[in-house]
Order: sequence, then structure tokens, then C-alpha cells
Amino acid sequence: MRPEKSDLTDARKSQGNRLTEAEAIERAKQGDEEAFEVLYRLHKRRVYSLCLRMTANTAAAEDLTQEAFLQLFRKIATFRGESAFSTWLHRMAVNVVLMQLRKKGLPLVSLEETMETEEESPKKEPGAEDIRLAGSINRLQLEQAIGDLPPGYRMVFLLHDVEGYEHNEIAEMVGCSIGNSKSQLHKARMKLRELLKTSRAEKATQP
Amino acid sequence: MTCEEFGRVLPELEGDHLNGEREEHLKTCLSCSGLVSDLNAISAEARLLVEDQEPSPRVWNCIAIALRQEGLIRDPEVPALLAGSRLRGWRLAWLRPVAIALVVGAALFLQLEHIPRGAPVARQAATSTPVLRTDGVGQDSAIDADEVQLLNLVASRAPAMRAGYESDLRAVNAYIRDAETSVRNNPNDGIAQQYLMNAYEQRAMVYEMAMKRALP
Amino acid sequence: MEHRETLAKLVVAVLFAGTVVASAETRQEFRFKVHHRASVSVANQFGPIWVKPSSGEEVVVTAVLHSDKVEVDHTYSLNRVSITSHLLAGADADSGRVEYQVSVPADANVTLHSATGPLRAERLHGDVMLEGNTANVDVRDLIGGHVHIKTLNGPVTLTNVSDGHVEITSVGGDVALNSVNGPLVHVNSTSGRIVYDGDFGGGGEYSLMTHTGDIEATAPSYASIDVMASSTQGKVENDFLLQPTHTSLAAKAGNAFAGTMGKAASSVRLLSFSGKIHLKKR
Repeated sequence: MRPEKSDLTDARKSQGNRLTEAEAIERAKQGDEEAFEVLYRLHKRRVYSLCLRMTANTAAAEDLTQEAFLQLFRKIATFRGESAFSTWLHRMAVNVVLMQLRKKGLPLVSLEETMETEEESPKKEPGAEDIRLAGSINRLQLEQAIGDLPPGYRMVFLLHDVEGYEHNEIAEMVGCSIGNSKSQLHKARMKLRELLKTSRAEKATQP
Repeated sequence: MTCEEFGRVLPELEGDHLNGEREEHLKTCLSCSGLVSDLNAISAEARLLVEDQEPSPRVWNCIAIALRQEGLIRDPEVPALLAGSRLRGWRLAWLRPVAIALVVGAALFLQLEHIPRGAPVARQAATSTPVLRTDGVGQDSAIDADEVQLLNLVASRAPAMRAGYESDLRAVNAYIRDAETSVRNNPNDGIAQQYLMNAYEQRAMVYEMAMKRALP
Repeated sequence: MEHRETLAKLVVAVLFAGTVVASAETRQEFRFKVHHRASVSVANQFGPIWVKPSSGEEVVVTAVLHSDKVEVDHTYSLNRVSITSHLLAGADADSGRVEYQVSVPADANVTLHSATGPLRAERLHGDVMLEGNTANVDVRDLIGGHVHIKTLNGPVTLTNVSDGHVEITSVGGDVALNSVNGPLVHVNSTSGRIVYDGDFGGGGEYSLMTHTGDIEATAPSYASIDVMASSTQGKVENDFLLQPTHTSLAAKAGNAFAGTMGKAASSVRLLSFSGKIHLKKR
């Protein structure tokens, strides 16, 4: 897994002269409420953003955030520091979301998406304007486009391109093959490309 | 290599170096090179998406309540014996309600002969067996000190709602008591366990809604 | 003459008071352009919220504020619309009341919070989450979306809801389900009464559980169910002739029964700790 996106490290203090993450973990094991709160404040945005992108629903994302932190805090006594605390928490949050989606009966990877289909090849349209995206992708449009992806595509795209998991990890979490994970990712990116180009074309035609 | 062939292998190329005929194809085909460039740009931009969304204060409040209920948050004056003991988390949280349930259960047993068959046991217990608490809550047998504090918080912001919340807390606490008794009598009974889970879910919901009322 | 003058003054006073009351109310409207599967949430301490589908890809919110002691805050970003009634100092249940009518695209995910309600959602197929204290909750004609309802003491009525997960948690409010089918229908109540009138269709998992409330379920003779009913302290009644099943549930006459009908496509559990249970034939 690639390095954490968050720029908070174990050595960095959270707020002013409050506890460091390492201190907070040790104190949380002793039942210190402030320590739990410090750990929560350090990581709440990352966990919540993950849940929100995966569910596209603020209430569901808040419930899942709550559940992820609760599961973490229940097991904090077993944390020995073999991996980064944030990695551990993040993985737990992903599992909580996946479990919730499974519980609801929502397909993590849809049947349609798992069927072998011909890969889309770029269509050659002589004379057609070729809108390039490189260097000009609008972050807000990308967020919107991600929200518009079918759930299965969105799941793999978020886990791989946004959260940095490898295909073997995704395959294990989601319950598909590595080949499937790669295929889903490719289709997700193709779909996003289509959505972003459509969005740009619409904007270009507006007065 | 044709564009169609290139499109077929593209999903597998991620992270791989392009070599041989694939690289040659990209050098000569504007469409495919444009496609690869776009897909890489999307992937690169996705890595930069920031976590700038904040959950509402309700989330932490609910977590804190749950941690207290489960005994994971301990007050500093908890005796070292318990703090360092192997009784952690949910086991510690069971001690107090189990103790209360045992006392109530004993009182109920003495009263059972006088309760008509089929009468709602929980309601009878709440009215006919006031158990004096040792935590200074007085006659509120179905509500503990934390809950009284929560109700007072609610009352400070929404006085008209206090009575409703108190009534709800008594009802769910009675549910929990009955369910705990049932589980204790039939530890392998799946239905009894389901009742207990439902009862705790109900109480968590009352807490959560009360906390929302108590927040500005 | 004096009498007429007094009467006239009284009429004027009443008219003036009415005008003052009416003029204290203000109406606001907000419009938001959204894409499909938008998220819309409305939080309103006092007053009703009514959500129905709009004709286009737009969220339209009409709010009637009862006084100047309440404001409507709104945020809008990335296909998410959030509306909140913000109570100012001195607001109470009357002066803080806001009445909302909200139109959303039918596939929007909707979240509503109100202490007093009522809350009403109809003809949608996105996910619907409703939360109220004493709010009367009324949901009808929802197809495909998940429905989650949490209430303390408000009555809950679902009519013609299908093909999604239905999860209702109520402490004291009664729950009525009319023509509600889906892969999962769960009701968890403490003292509320649960009434189901439908066919338990869809090969789903139906669980109606209450602590002290009664459960009354009405189904047709062609229902295809694997049913289990038990009341620890109360009585159970069954109008159907069930095929026996192997179950760990000890069938106690008057307290429990279990069996199947038809092809047993759906699983049905009716459990009350001390209330009465009646499985009725339509």
C-alpha cells in the first residue's frame, strides 16, 4: 500500500500541546476519554471521507464512521504497533463499509460487471474533436463523476486510485479475482473519462 | 498491433512498463496515446482528492456514549484492580447491569406469585419493585446516574421533552432487564440473545436522540 | 349603539391580531440543480416535512417559517443538499416551527429529521432515512430503495413499499405495514404495537419483534412462508394450518407455533416478549 495521504505522523502533535498519537494510543488502552477523542479527531476526516465517497449518503457515512471507530476502540488494547495506526484504522473502516453493503444485499461487484465483455477500444472518428483531459481535470467534477459511477465500479476505483490498495488486497476484500479487480478499475476509469468529457462538452456549449 | 488489441490488454498494463509492440503502437496512434494519457490523469487526480469532509459532532457524541456504556472509558478513580484486570470492554460493561438484573430478578421472584398469568412482567416490575440504588439516584430504580445527567442535559435545552425521554429510558431499561434475565436463564437461546441485542439497540437509539436534543 | 361600537372594535382587534400573526410567517423557496442519485437531508426540530418526486433534476424546497425566531440554513455541494432549521434564542415549539415541502428527483437519497413532524415521503425509489421523536411517519409508494426509520413514540405507517430493505426501530410508537414486501423487513419495538397486512412476498426475511407490544399479522391463504411465532409471557393465535418443521423452538400451546405454508419462500418471525401475537388469515 502506498504511503499515507495524511500528513499527520505519529510524532506530530494533534492540537497545540495535546497528546501525540502514540501517547493517545497508550492512554486509550487505559480508558482515557481524552485520548480516544484525540485519536478520533486525528483520523475522522479520512474515515468519513472514505465512507461518504463509498456510500454517497451523509447519514450512512456518519453511521459507518461511528461503527469503524467503535470497532477500532474496542480492539485498541490489541494494537502492538506492527503497522501504522492509521493503516489499521483505515482497513477497519473499509471492512465496515463492505460489511454494511453486503448486509444490505448490495452487490459489491455487479453480475453485469463481472461478465466477460469485449473491452472498449477508443473509437476512431475521423475529424472528430479529441478533447484531452490531461492537465485540466476539475476536482469537483471528478468528485461528481465518481458519485455517478455504478456502485461496483466506484468501489474498486475508490479502493485503488483514491485509497491506494493493490489489486490483490481489493480482490480479497471485495471477494473477486485479481483479474476482475483490474477489469473493474479500467471500466471505472473509462466511464469517468466519458463523464468528464461530457461534462466539459456541456460547459463549452453553455453561454 | 491494432487499437482493438491494445484496448484488450490495457486493463492489464497498469503499473507495467510498456514495451515492444505496445509501446510502438502508442508512438504511432494518437487515439490510444490520448486514451492512456487521460486515464493516467484521472488516476493521478484521484490520488490528490483530499479528505475535507467532516462528520457532524453527533458522531463523536455517539461514540463517547457507546464507549462509556461498554466500559472502555474509565474514570481515573477506578480501582487499579479493575483497571488492570482482564475484565475488559464488554465484560466490564456487563457487570453493573447484570448486578442490577440479579437484584431485580430476586425481587421479581418473590413477587411472581402475586402477578396474574400473562401480565406484562416489565411493567409490573417497574411499579412494584422499587430497588434502592447505592449510587445516590434515590427512588429512580430504572435510571442510573449517567442517564439522569443525560436527561438533565436534555431538559436544559428542551424542557418539554424530558418526561418523554425519561419514560422511554425506563421502558428500554425494562426491556434490557427482561432480556438479560432471559439470556441468563437460557444462554443458548438464539431468540433470547436477539431480544437482548434489540433491547440494547433501542437504548442506544434513545441515547443518540437525547444527545441530539442536548446539543446546541 | 354602544354595543355596536364595542363589536366593531372587537372585530378590528381580531382582524389586526390575525394580520399580525399572518405577517409573522414568511415563505422561502430554494432551488438546487442536482444529478441523479443526489443526497438530500432536511433537519427540522418542529414542524412537518413532506417529500415527493420532482419532474426534473432539481431539488425544490419550500419553507414556511412561523416566526422570526427560526432561520433556514442550507448547504449545497457535490450533489448534496442539506437544509437545517436553525432555532434562535427564545424559540419554542410554536415560534420555531417550519413547514417544509420538498421535491426531489425520484432516485434521490433522502434523510429527514424532525422531533415533532409529521414526516411524509412518497413515490421515491432512492434510499429514505427518517428520524423523529413523536413525529407521525408516513411513507408510501416507495419501490426499490431502502427505508430506515427511527422513532421514539411517533406512529409509523408504511404503505405499498417494496423491493428494498425496510428497518424500523420504534420505542413506543405503533408500526403499521400495509403491502410491504422486500428482501428484508425488520421491525424492532419496545412497547409499540406492530400490525402487518400483506403477503410476506418476495422471498424475503421478515422479522417483527417487540418487548411488550402486540403483533397482528394478516396474510392471504396463498402466502408462501416459513413462520415462527413466540411470546414468552403472552398468547399466540394462528388462523392457518401449517406444515410442521424441525425447529428448536418448543411449540408450546398458546405461547409458540412454527411451520410452513406453500413453498416457504419467505422467512417470518413474530416475536413478542409479553405481548399477544395473532397470525390472521385474510
